[in-house]
Amino acid sequence: MALLEVRSLTKRFGGLTALDGVSFIVEEGGIHGLIGPNGAGKSTLFKNISGFYRPTSGDIMFRGRSIVGSSPARISAAGIVRTFQETTLFDELSVFDNVLVGTHKSAASNVFSALFGLDRDVQAEARAEAHAVLAFMGLGDRQSQLAGELPLGSQRALAMAIALASRPRLMLMDEPFAGMNPEETSRMMTLTRKIRESGVTIVLVEHDMKAVMGLCDTLTVLNFGTLLAEGTPEQISRHPDVIAAYLGGVAAE
Amino acid sequence: MDLLLQSLVNGLIQSGFFALAAVGLVLIFGVMGVVNFAHGELVMAGAYTVWYLHAQIGLPYPVTIMAALAICTGIGLLMEQFLFKPTRDDPLGGLICSIGVLFILQVAATLLGGDGPSKQVPPPYEGTMILFDTLRIPYQRVFSLVVSVAALAVLWYFLTRSRFGWALRAVSLDREAASLQGIDSNRISLIAIGVGAGLAGLAGALMAPLTNINPHMGHNVIITAFIVTIVGGVGSLSGAVIAAVLYALFHTFVSTYFSGTIATIGGLLIMVVVLILRPTGIMGRRVSE
Amino acid sequence: MAASRLVKGLLLAMMLAALMVLPHFLKYHHQDFLIFLTINVLVVVSYRLVTLTGEWSLIHAVMMGVGAYTSALLTKHLGISFWISLPLSGIVAAAIAAVLCFPLFRMTQFYFLIGSFAAGEAIRLCWIHFIQPFGGTGGISGLAVPELGSIDFFEPIPYFYLVLVVVTLSLIVLYRIETSRIGLTLHAVHWKAPLAESVGVNTWNYRSLAFVIGSFFVGLAGTLKVHYLGTVTPNQFDISLMVFILIWVIVGGYRTFYGAIIGAVVLSVLDEAIRDLDVLRPAIYGALLIASIRFLPSGLESIPQRIIARFRCDSRTEPMP
Repeated sequence: MALLEVRSLTKRFGGLTALDGVSFIVEEGGIHGLIGPNGAGKSTLFKNISGFYRPTSGDIMFRGRSIVGSSPARISAAGIVRTFQETTLFDELSVFDNVLVGTHKSAASNVFSALFGLDRDVQAEARAEAHAVLAFMGLGDRQSQLAGELPLGSQRALAMAIALASRPRLMLMDEPFAGMNPEETSRMMTLTRKIRESGVTIVLVEHDMKAVMGLCDTLTVLNFGTLLAEGTPEQISRHPDVIAAYLGGVAAE
Repeated sequence: MDLLLQSLVNGLIQSGFFALAAVGLVLIFGVMGVVNFAHGELVMAGAYTVWYLHAQIGLPYPVTIMAALAICTGIGLLMEQFLFKPTRDDPLGGLICSIGVLFILQVAATLLGGDGPSKQVPPPYEGTMILFDTLRIPYQRVFSLVVSVAALAVLWYFLTRSRFGWALRAVSLDREAASLQGIDSNRISLIAIGVGAGLAGLAGALMAPLTNINPHMGHNVIITAFIVTIVGGVGSLSGAVIAAVLYALFHTFVSTYFSGTIATIGGLLIMVVVLILRPTGIMGRRVSE
Repeated sequence: MAASRLVKGLLLAMMLAALMVLPHFLKYHHQDFLIFLTINVLVVVSYRLVTLTGEWSLIHAVMMGVGAYTSALLTKHLGISFWISLPLSGIVAAAIAAVLCFPLFRMTQFYFLIGSFAAGEAIRLCWIHFIQPFGGTGGISGLAVPELGSIDFFEPIPYFYLVLVVVTLSLIVLYRIETSRIGLTLHAVHWKAPLAESVGVNTWNYRSLAFVIGSFFVGLAGTLKVHYLGTVTPNQFDISLMVFILIWVIVGGYRTFYGAIIGAVVLSVLDEAIRDLDVLRPAIYGALLIASIRFLPSGLESIPQRIIARFRCDSRTEPMP
């Protein structure tokens, strides 16, 4: 059974068809890339999967159960988490608190527990987990800094840390390499591989071809809201339709 | 049956005021994104102007209407220049500033006329016309309806035919895109609030001979304006006019057969229902968030 | 740091002790004022909880009235003791808030503001219109003072201690909620609701929770107020009270727990000081609101924060990385 299965997903906004009958499968483990020219519908697809949009038609199966129409909170409970295209952090909270929010699923408190300290162990566990995730992502020494004051690379790492803290099985990463220089990119690639090693399946939307080719085990290519091609990076880089869509961008890498 | 018909007519005449006030509010919110909580007080300022200049000093009524228009437009422009423009990025701040103006205007009214019993302005146009042997319509009310409709017609013409009107609509749809097209959105905001405040002042001037004038009269006006604005559609001027008519009829009927308070409660509940089901109202656009 | 917590704790204890002694040095009229000031603090801190999720409601003043009317009806018409009607009034306010969550929290931002205003005004108009049982514009009068042994709660000083106890306990609860996991989640919902949702936070639940809890405590405040005054009327909870609450929160600042308290205290004292100016008072508040938004948008709380930051800066030898 595949981890994620998208079946004939269609999303229309008024007269605009952003996604048209897209179907593909994501197997557990590994890093899967979702690429395509601008406007191909990649972010829209993510938003449909993570519950921010409701598909016009089609189905999305996660671990065998349909998640279409579920709220973002429930989809997160099922085990899917998404990082956002523009770096989205709780700017006014500390780095540590940012990650702590990520542990919400396992450590949410109710009023009585909060007042009388009844769930102290649960909270302590959550704090330990937050520490661990921060260390894992290399942010351990920045814990008390405000998230809004971090440099770009650290901010992206923090976004991933927040997502990781929610113990997902599937992580949807929306252009994590955007705006990064080569040094930051390679650091980010290492972190992404680390996440994969820890057992999280990753689907990555990205334009940076170096990162995509270097990281992904399989690729799905979208164009104009439809599936163009699927395969390994080597196959895709030689695929004539893909080359045509990118006007030689892929083959040149 | 007679009561029904009389209520219908009274309601229709009321709708003129509601429409003027609501349209002004929609204009300000639509173009500037600011909820002007002081809108009721602008109406009050118009009424007080007429009371002071006409009932106290004795200037001719039409002159005082113009004066009310001018004064309220002036207040609106001052508000834009010193309050709304500097807080453009913070609509909540703008709203709160408008609450501050609300208080200042109320106190100004109290200082001008004291806080005693409500003031009355004797209607400049006396007499009542009688239709179909049973309907009684005072000429003063006819006058107010005619002027309201005329003002709304002028506004409609201005918005659909003139360059400024077109620019106003562009800014209300998308402020950034409009400025990219070379429209000076600050100037447009000035025009929007000038017109919106002017309409409020006009409403107040027309209401003056027909209602009790006191520093707190703005309270009911703002509630009515909100109800009409929401039900009619937050971005829509024609929606506001339609909703004004419908609500005026509703309010008059319920007031006649039950009470004014029940009518207002009913109006507020309708507004809450509209906010839940279709926040953009009868004719409003979808507001993206 | 353990040391700073000790210092904070000591400061608070000292303040409490000072508050307990203070009324004995004040004139009768100022003792009255102290009672209302303390009640205002509860009102404003409970409002801050509601606004923690980023939604500014305009119904808070009316919820205070809901608590007040509940207690008035329970004590006067059902003969229930004040000590029971006090918590009940909070519970009823919370319950009504819970019901209102369903219509109100489907709206956001501007719509929520107007919707909460409308709902509050509708409730207030019901108090005015339904003379049975609410008493119309005259309200309900002849409310009994609480009874406890031989303590005469009609006197300001005993009543002040009662208010002080209730408010202090309430503030402790509110503070604990804010510094707990729940408070963190509320902040998260405030800053970036979509991000919070992506890790499983049900933002509707949290907004509702803040609203219901805030309503509970302001209901208590309402009861405390009207049982001292002896009368509850609809006009005690109208838009001017709501504006006062807004002024306290905005002028004081809502970033910190104590900001709103500073606002309530400073502005209540100011209100008292300009009492003689009578007619001009609303205009002064109006001007204050405007000045606050334009010139000190981060509120009075930012002043001690800036001073503390200055201290920290001076003691550093290196700039922050």
